Amino acid sequence: MFIHNFKYSLKTLFRNKMLIFWTFAFPIILGTLFNLAFSNIADTEKFDIIDIAIVNNDDLENNEAYKTVFKQLSDESSEDRMFNTKYVSEDEAKKLLENDDIVGYMKLEGETPKVTFVKSGTNQTIFKYVVEEIAQRSNMLSNIVEHEMKESVMPENINTEEILHKANELAQNNEIKLKNISNKNLDYMMIEFYTLIAMACLYGGILGMVAINQNLANMTNQGKRISISPMNKAKLLISSLLAGYVAQLVGLALLFVYTVFVLKVDYGNNVGLIILLSMVGSFTGLSMGVAVASLVKASDNAKSGILIGITMLGCFLAGMMGVSMKYVIDKNVPIINKLNPANMITDGFYSLYYYDTLDRYYFNVASLLIFAFILIAISFFSLRRQKYDSI
Amino acid sequence: MTVFKTFLKILKKNRGMVIFYTVLLLVFGGINMSANKPTTEFEATKPSVLIVNKDEEVGITKDFIKYIKENSETPEIADNEEARNDALFYSDVSYIVYIPENYHNDFMAGNAPELEIKRTGDYTSEYAEMLVKRYLSVASTYQKSIKSEAELIEKVNETLSKKVDAEITSKLDTTTLSKASFYYNFASYSILACLIYIICLVLSVFNSEKIRKRTVISSMSYKKHNKDLLLSNCVYAVTVWLLYVIASFVLVGDIMFTSHGAVYIINSFVFTMCATALAFLIGRIVSNKNAVNGIVNVVALGSSFLCGVFVPMEFMPQSVKAMAHVLPTYYYVKTNDAVAELEVFNIETLKPLIINMGVMLGFAILFVIIANIVASKKRKIG
Repeated sequence: MFIHNFKYSLKTLFRNKMLIFWTFAFPIILGTLFNLAFSNIADTEKFDIIDIAIVNNDDLENNEAYKTVFKQLSDESSEDRMFNTKYVSEDEAKKLLENDDIVGYMKLEGETPKVTFVKSGTNQTIFKYVVEEIAQRSNMLSNIVEHEMKESVMPENINTEEILHKANELAQNNEIKLKNISNKNLDYMMIEFYTLIAMACLYGGILGMVAINQNLANMTNQGKRISISPMNKAKLLISSLLAGYVAQLVGLALLFVYTVFVLKVDYGNNVGLIILLSMVGSFTGLSMGVAVASLVKASDNAKSGILIGITMLGCFLAGMMGVSMKYVIDKNVPIINKLNPANMITDGFYSLYYYDTLDRYYFNVASLLIFAFILIAISFFSLRRQKYDSI
Repeated sequence: MTVFKTFLKILKKNRGMVIFYTVLLLVFGGINMSANKPTTEFEATKPSVLIVNKDEEVGITKDFIKYIKENSETPEIADNEEARNDALFYSDVSYIVYIPENYHNDFMAGNAPELEIKRTGDYTSEYAEMLVKRYLSVASTYQKSIKSEAELIEKVNETLSKKVDAEITSKLDTTTLSKASFYYNFASYSILACLIYIICLVLSVFNSEKIRKRTVISSMSYKKHNKDLLLSNCVYAVTVWLLYVIASFVLVGDIMFTSHGAVYIINSFVFTMCATALAFLIGRIVSNKNAVNGIVNVVALGSSFLCGVFVPMEFMPQSVKAMAHVLPTYYYVKTNDAVAELEVFNIETLKPLIINMGVMLGFAILFVIIANIVASKKRKIG
């Protein structure tokens, strides 16, 4: 009987087109959309070569410092190239700026540079920064020369040339040593795909819900028949749930295959732990489905509405509609996300991807299991000894 | 009137969805609207930099921290490594500098130790690194010739205080305008979802076989019935549009009263017309009530993701942008984004915007024609 019920539960689940759309196809469609929209973000945030212009007046001709620095920084063969510089007249520069061909232009008036932009921004700030640095550098050189002159033992023997040369050398030989110790896995767009898995896990709850509904006398005619049969209810329920869980895992496996091989999502390297987390996540989804099916007395549609609503809210808080939402909640009201199953799943994947240690991962897995067992325990007590005066 | 009353009845029964998408718009539009003072002066971008100092806060260490703090934002982050790592991952902080013990003494002795840093890969972190390197390179250059710490700090500050004048030519309040654009772009999602959901449901109710048989034999003429149905849909669509426009006045504020605001409003109206036509078409094609929810999500989410509603168009790959040309939302979003950067209003500058709206109207007409063809094919009851 266990196997019989299992087989037919599985068949009815797979034949329910709406169900299969929401649990199987929808996450895949959403994942494709994420991929189309987000695939370029990481690239556009990288440092680009900035288009600028410099007004080529006489003051520029006479100023070696500005000429050489911008020549170096615009050198196409150099790895440190920052700018694509055009040397033009002031009128042309204005026109280029208006047409959005450059972010800004610099004009020298005597020794003093002035930069003009359409609006503030990071590229503008960097351009201004470089111009500033040239001004600061010449100030620094003259300060050093002055200092060296003061320090000289025999002021009458000063060789200005030599001091200037020395100062220049000082300014050149100072490689600043910085050691980058950050983790290489810094692609925060991955969170979007993790919330997607979380969504698929929790949507899977609908499968569990439908499987339970088939056994409830107040939901289906089939349920009425089952209720008056002399079968062991626990056996039936468990075999129906198992069918729901299996269907859920099939959907999840499809989603994983699709995201890994087509969308190239990085889940970290620990395959065993990834599978464990998704199975535990699906189980939590199942427990939510069971809880809604047994605790809420409403129509089938209303029940799935509630499940979809809870799942979407959870995913929203876990960062599906904007990754920063997860961070804001984690940082300011951590308790919400500690109780949010969608976030537990998302955070579990995140910790596998980003952290080397597994404490946080196991904390999430444990939270999910506790969450699931509480819901199942509650549903179990409500499903026992049900009686209906009238249906 | 009978038709309209039925329409209202169905709407009332399903108001939850309409409220849901409206709240979504208000929440997302609202979050983004946090007050920002209008900027017509140059404002340097400030990267967010965190300094973890294990040294005493004196001398050169103190001055270095002071310089970085002046030129960057310091986010509030709990004092543990996990919180810092999280902050880095979510770009709350783009650069972290770890100052080792005894740094200022080592620095003055001329053997500055290597600094450990953590950084994200984006360009704000690039800029943050420039700031760090600038201070350290100026300080270490001076250090080679000046031995007194106090004098060195004074000279470093003198050098770093040399600033360059920057001028901003745009008189537009670009931050508020881009927020208005974001609100209206997002509104396209809510409008599409609300219209398709309700209109499809209504049409599927009227098209269900029993009700259609009743309507056909009733005294109401086919033409009047259809006209009423179309009119109810339009009334509903305009109401939704009006609601969102009024909300925009509250959320966006003054800018809605300028000519920029007028373009947003007109553009969203044209889009609403187009969305109504699309909803009508989908309602004609799909007769299964249960499928409506899935279709709403696929159409509304799909066109929003592809056309730069959620992610600004400039961040999207070229191929996706090319694909988006076949969707009306693309022209709507393009117009909104263009308005935000429009300085002068004349025929010349408005022309591309008007063309976009024309394209949307073209889509609308196309949808209506297809809807009619589909409807006439389905008219016979077998």
